[in-house]
Amino acid sequence: MTKKDFLTKTLTDTVISRRSFLKWSAALGGTAALAGGLDFGLKTVEKAAAASDSQIFTTSCYHNCGSRCILWAEVKDGTVVRMLPDQDPEDTFDRMKAIPCLRGRSQKWRVYSPERLKYPMKRVGKRGEGKFERISWEEALDTVATKLQEVKEKYGNEAIYYNYATGQIAGGVDNTYNGVGPIARVMHLFGGYVSFYGTYSTACYSAALPFITAGGSNSSDDLLNSKLIVLWSDNPVVTRTGGKGIGYHCLKAKEAGAKFIVIDPVYNDTAIATEADWVPINPGTDCALIAALAYVMVKDGTYDKEFMATYSVGFDEDTLPEGTPRNSSYMAYLMGRGYDKTPKTPEWAAPITGIPAERIVKLAREIAGTKPCAMFQGWGMQRRAYGEQPVRALPILAAMTGNFGISGGGNGTRPTGGTNISIGGFPAGENPIKTKISVYMWPDFIERGHEMTSGPRDLIKGAEKMTADMKFMWNWAGNCITNQHSDINGTVKMLQDESKLEFIVVSDVVMTHSAKMADILLPDTTHFEAENITGGNSEGRSNFVLFNHQLIEPLYEAKDVLWVAEQLADRLGLGVEFREGHETRESWLRDIVAVARENNEDFPTYEEFKEIGYYKKVGGGGIIAGKAFVEDPIANPLKTPTGKIEIYSPTMAAMNNPEEIPAIPLYIPEWEGVSDPLREKYPLLMGGHHSVQRSHSTFDNVAALREAHIQSLWMNTLDAEARGIKNGDMVKVFNDRGEVRVPAYVTNRLRPGVTSLPQGAWFTPDENGVDIRGCINTLTKYHPTPFAKGNPQHTNLVQVEKA
Amino acid sequence: MDTREWALLIFTILGQIAAGSLLVLLIVRAFAVRMAGVDQADRFTNGPLYIIFPIMGLALLSSLLHLGNPLNIAKAVPNLGTSWLSREVVIAVVFVILVGVYALMQWRKIGNNVLRTVIGWITGLLGLVQVYGMGMVYMIRTQPAWNTLATPVSFLVTALLLGVATIAAALIVNNALLNKGDKKDEQQLEMLRKALQGLAIASIALLGVEFLVTPLYMAYLPSQGVEAMQSLEMMVGTFGVIFALRLIFVFVGAGILATYIYRNASILGKEGTLSTLVFSALILILTGEVMGRFIFYATHVRIGL
Amino acid sequence: MAKQLGFYVNLADCSGCKACEIACKDRKELPLGVRWRRVYEYGGGEWVADGDQMVPSGVFHYFVSTACMHCEKPICMEVCPASAISKRDDGIVLIDPDKCIGCRYCSWACPYGAPQFNEEAKVMTKCDFCVELQAQGQNPACVDACPYRALEFGDIEELKAKHGELNDPAPMPDPSLTHPAIVYTPHKDTRTSQSGGGQVLNID
Ligand SMILES: Nc1nc2c(c(=O)[nH]1)N[C@H]1C(S)=C(S)[C@@H](COP(=O)(O)OP(=O)(O)OC[C@H]3O[C@@H](n4cnc5c(=O)[nH]c(N)nc54)[C@H](O)[C@@H]3O)O[C@H]1N2
Ligand SMILES: Nc1nc2c(c(=O)[nH]1)N[C@H]1C(S)=C(S)[C@@H](COP(=O)(O)OP(=O)(O)OC[C@H]3O[C@@H](n4cnc5c(=O)[nH]c(N)nc54)[C@H](O)[C@@H]3O)O[C@H]1N2
Ligand code: SF4
Ligand code: SF4
Ligand code: SF4
Ligand code: SF4
Ligand code: SF4
Ligand SMILES: [Mo]
Repeated sequence: MTKKDFLTKTLTDTVISRRSFLKWSAALGGTAALAGGLDFGLKTVEKAAAASDSQIFTTSCYHNCGSRCILWAEVKDGTVVRMLPDQDPEDTFDRMKAIPCLRGRSQKWRVYSPERLKYPMKRVGKRGEGKFERISWEEALDTVATKLQEVKEKYGNEAIYYNYATGQIAGGVDNTYNGVGPIARVMHLFGGYVSFYGTYSTACYSAALPFITAGGSNSSDDLLNSKLIVLWSDNPVVTRTGGKGIGYHCLKAKEAGAKFIVIDPVYNDTAIATEADWVPINPGTDCALIAALAYVMVKDGTYDKEFMATYSVGFDEDTLPEGTPRNSSYMAYLMGRGYDKTPKTPEWAAPITGIPAERIVKLAREIAGTKPCAMFQGWGMQRRAYGEQPVRALPILAAMTGNFGISGGGNGTRPTGGTNISIGGFPAGENPIKTKISVYMWPDFIERGHEMTSGPRDLIKGAEKMTADMKFMWNWAGNCITNQHSDINGTVKMLQDESKLEFIVVSDVVMTHSAKMADILLPDTTHFEAENITGGNSEGRSNFVLFNHQLIEPLYEAKDVLWVAEQLADRLGLGVEFREGHETRESWLRDIVAVARENNEDFPTYEEFKEIGYYKKVGGGGIIAGKAFVEDPIANPLKTPTGKIEIYSPTMAAMNNPEEIPAIPLYIPEWEGVSDPLREKYPLLMGGHHSVQRSHSTFDNVAALREAHIQSLWMNTLDAEARGIKNGDMVKVFNDRGEVRVPAYVTNRLRPGVTSLPQGAWFTPDENGVDIRGCINTLTKYHPTPFAKGNPQHTNLVQVEKA
Repeated sequence: MDTREWALLIFTILGQIAAGSLLVLLIVRAFAVRMAGVDQADRFTNGPLYIIFPIMGLALLSSLLHLGNPLNIAKAVPNLGTSWLSREVVIAVVFVILVGVYALMQWRKIGNNVLRTVIGWITGLLGLVQVYGMGMVYMIRTQPAWNTLATPVSFLVTALLLGVATIAAALIVNNALLNKGDKKDEQQLEMLRKALQGLAIASIALLGVEFLVTPLYMAYLPSQGVEAMQSLEMMVGTFGVIFALRLIFVFVGAGILATYIYRNASILGKEGTLSTLVFSALILILTGEVMGRFIFYATHVRIGL
Repeated sequence: MAKQLGFYVNLADCSGCKACEIACKDRKELPLGVRWRRVYEYGGGEWVADGDQMVPSGVFHYFVSTACMHCEKPICMEVCPASAISKRDDGIVLIDPDKCIGCRYCSWACPYGAPQFNEEAKVMTKCDFCVELQAQGQNPACVDACPYRALEFGDIEELKAKHGELNDPAPMPDPSLTHPAIVYTPHKDTRTSQSGGGQVLNID
């Protein structure tokens, strides 16, 4: 309402201490002006005239934000001067512009960042100390090649690991996700390495999905046909920020008349932008809410009995597989005949979920009474202690309400991409080693790899047992060694024992905290510095492919991944096999276009494609998941083991761990959850939603983004008041694993008792080990989930005090 | 605090001292002329007159420090049509020139007494206009705590109060300089005592005005919307201590000490005590008014974002 | 009546992402601390007990993206002593950096916080409506940047005809102060400058 102006500010500064972004960043030593030539917004008219000698090119946005957008760059005198949005003249529902978000618009600052790695380095201090010495590329590559051979000889290829890393995943040549791209190709030729299954994104979702629907939901353009859209732990205007994502599809659905309900501990940005009804739920209790909603529908008789009988396994006793003990069905669980003998009444669910019983009843009737209704899950509720359960529970509601397999409805999972364009990729070849660990369990691979088996403790895949401990780690374009993995302080300690994991190679473009763990640190080029072809955004009725132009010369001594892979291949005696006749980057890219032209009639020639910069395909969408199954369940079974909506999973039943891997999706109280006695010491639940100013840790070095969205601990007004904390005050957030200092964002936008520290900020410990930039993984616990062995990073308890 | 922000504070305070001093001095001179003739009156008041020009000059210089880009003044066209800041600058510049001219005329005895007196009064009135202009600068419709009659009135009171104190001190110094050595000019001493008595009464009267305006202003603010209310809260809350100190300082300086000055000025041979009292009063009033001005700048809350 | 360009903001669809702010910053090469386009968060309400559970009562929150309003009665221009601020025939209000003496008087006066001092350049700056882009027939950078198509610009009369008259969603000030050239579509929770009832919640 009122804001004090500059004079008041400066005057009051002397009397009452006030924090401002500039002071915070000064404290971090980063007040440096935004890179890239400032002229302070003056004389724009003259500049426009002068800028006529600049040119614009398509580039891309190639990291892990869940979207892809069309990004252009204005280049002048060999420098990128500004970022521009999708220049397509048309912007309709069928041919939606892929308008880039604030991060895409910040690419210039990310590339021209003072934190850029400038030359190859080797570690000189203790591991993790961050002391490095400049070396030549020659030396760096020799060291890596020698070490690879040494490890291979001494321990075998199964002592090599390729860590999860999503900094460069948009396709084409510069693609360095596990198993794809040039480094993977060399390593496959070299005899392979242990890889992983699952992702930090969807560990529980992808592990549980095959056992419930075995596939995603309707494509997002179908939202236009929904009357009611219920978003469950989903925040697509943030997690699909780009202007062609699910977030914008939601707004289009709103325009078409759909009502929204958002079930989330946080009144998230999507709830605001869709003008939704917010149902603030206690974290980790979705299964209790889902059970109570199902209970009300059963009692009201508003669910589709016939559908459940025909299409599901284990909804009630009649549909249980042969030989299953009595009262194992979901109905038995609901009605209090199941293992816990407790009816799942709204009154039962109210104290667990924090939602009053009447509200639950109202919600059940709203959902059951509005058709078609689309229920979607985000991945927030599955990045939790028992994240497998809600993934399997929500489709039950979709099925009960008759929304499964119909337009405007959905199967209760997540939207599927609507439009695919088949183009070529970089031929990485096959990994000869089939052993895979859960993506999250690499610390165990380091500490006790040789003990790990396919048994329930480790659930390794592709082999019965492991043969070695991890001795060599590749970490290319990822920050999951520390920053994005759990319990940073614990992890760093483990890594400091150099006798265990002997060698870490990190490639990045900036000095991240994971990079500080490296033994050899390789400076990569960014997408501005090399030519590439990247995939598009499959959301809705259109898609595109981008020609990513080389806009500038590589900065400093940065070298692109193809060059590094070739050099390495040469040193390992694999140069000829690696190249397979490809002498230039362009020759690989031409292969990609050749495949694209085979699969898409109107795909332009390489030259045309490069000239235009992008290829758009329209006319997709309209995917109704499970439609064929609903029409004829015998002829078109689902891909679940039972071929039906698998509410009761025989596979999970066979695992004999009903407490943590129940056959039907149950509410399991979380460790460090609402009902954990540890709350006496650490009373506040803390999640870490994905936030709009970063893609994970990527972009946290862009000062303009940090200024626009200040990293802060979200906490409820009442919790703040009880601690004497006001909006913007500096707080300390701590538990037994560490401490973080950040400003508090005091808001009614989340439940009392709940806090959120948006994930991805750069871990920046001060001399006492206190993180002063707000990295949530200072506080998260390394504790794999039971079935997926995934990351429960949203389940945490903390205490907060005024700093 | 940024030097630039202090610059404004210094500009307004010094500018008001200059205007107030000149006016007070003109009145003192008028009385002195009646008492002792033009020559003695000029001897009595010329010294104090000479300090006004440098004070006003300093005020203008410090106002420059507040500008981000003073060099652009050369290219800037004054916006006399709508901008009070523009008008204020023009008035201040004319005022300083006239002050200089008047002082020069007095010093070099240019022109006869009538002419000089007329020029003096014209300059004095322009000083008043300048104080009014300064007030108008802050009468912005988006600044409710400023946009009240209290702004120009309190600026005027500040000008006169500081003018009285400054001139009292200057008269004492001037007198000491004149009466160096053994031979004392009894008439000058007599004038000094009379003047100090008059100034003490004026000071107490102005204090009364100030103590009337302040509570009225505070009582008025709550009716002016949330922003004005916030200003008031800051005045008594965040800046409460400074606010209280300011009132005490001015009260002691312009009230209690003035009473003692009045009393001592009627007794012969108390020059030493008087000068201690006068300088103490000046320092207290000046400090109090600077604190008041600080609060003026620190507590305004603009409507909007 | 002369032409008056203005902005339109759809508060109902705005997600508070600040792509508009960043695009402006990139386009205009603004240093840290200078944010010609800013996004305010406005919210209120409270948490109360409903039986044994805590529930939100009247909790609301929405975003307002804001730049210079290119007012029909620009108070910035009224008060500028150096005649550095002018209003063009199309209604765009501009600061001439060559004339600005950096007195900051306009920033005391403007109720939208639009004029912002550039410490490095020592002059006042503000949104110039991307005149250079408009001259080339292009849209202002912020307008094209919004992933949710919540921003538009054009002749204010035409915008009003299309989108209604709302020009003072809280926390915006009373429009009678400067007659801003702006129109909004309200969010379901939008309050007005008169009804208020919430707070600005940005922590910077
Ligand atoms: N507590 C908590 N932790 C989480 C999550 C959470 O919700 N809560 N989310 C998890 C999820 S879903 C994911 S996907 C992971 C993501 O974790 P990561 O895959 O580690 O993703 P980023 O943090 O973006 O790290 C990408 C890195 O790639 C670098 N990079 C960017 N461009 C290039 C390039 O061209 N070349 C090279 N060599 N490097 C480049 C970036 O600088 C950055 O350091 O985080 C997980 N961590
Ligand atoms: N801007 C941006 N976008 C991104 C990313 C990014 O870093 N930044 N990362 C991308 C990647 S790799 C991924 S995997 C996705 C992640 O996408 P998601 O996993 O869906 O995102 P989150 O923010 O972790 O969680 C979504 C919502 O779940 C809520 N939530 C947390 N716990 C619970 C719970 O127990 N119950 C319920 N009902 N809700 C809960 C959170 O409050 C949050 O609002 O986002 C992608 N998009
Ligand atoms: S949504 Fe993702 S791909 Fe699109 S601009 Fe933002 S960061 Fe880039
Ligand atoms: S918003 Fe402020 S700066 Fe812009 S025209 Fe209006 S008064 Fe002037
Ligand atoms: S800062 Fe510049 S534009 Fe603003 S009022 Fe002063 S001279 Fe005018
Ligand atoms: S019109 Fe241009 S200058 Fe104004 S806010 Fe938008 S991008 Fe910035
Ligand atoms: S870009 Fe659009 S959605 Fe994002 S803050 Fe600006 S106006 Fe709102
Ligand atoms: Mo992810």
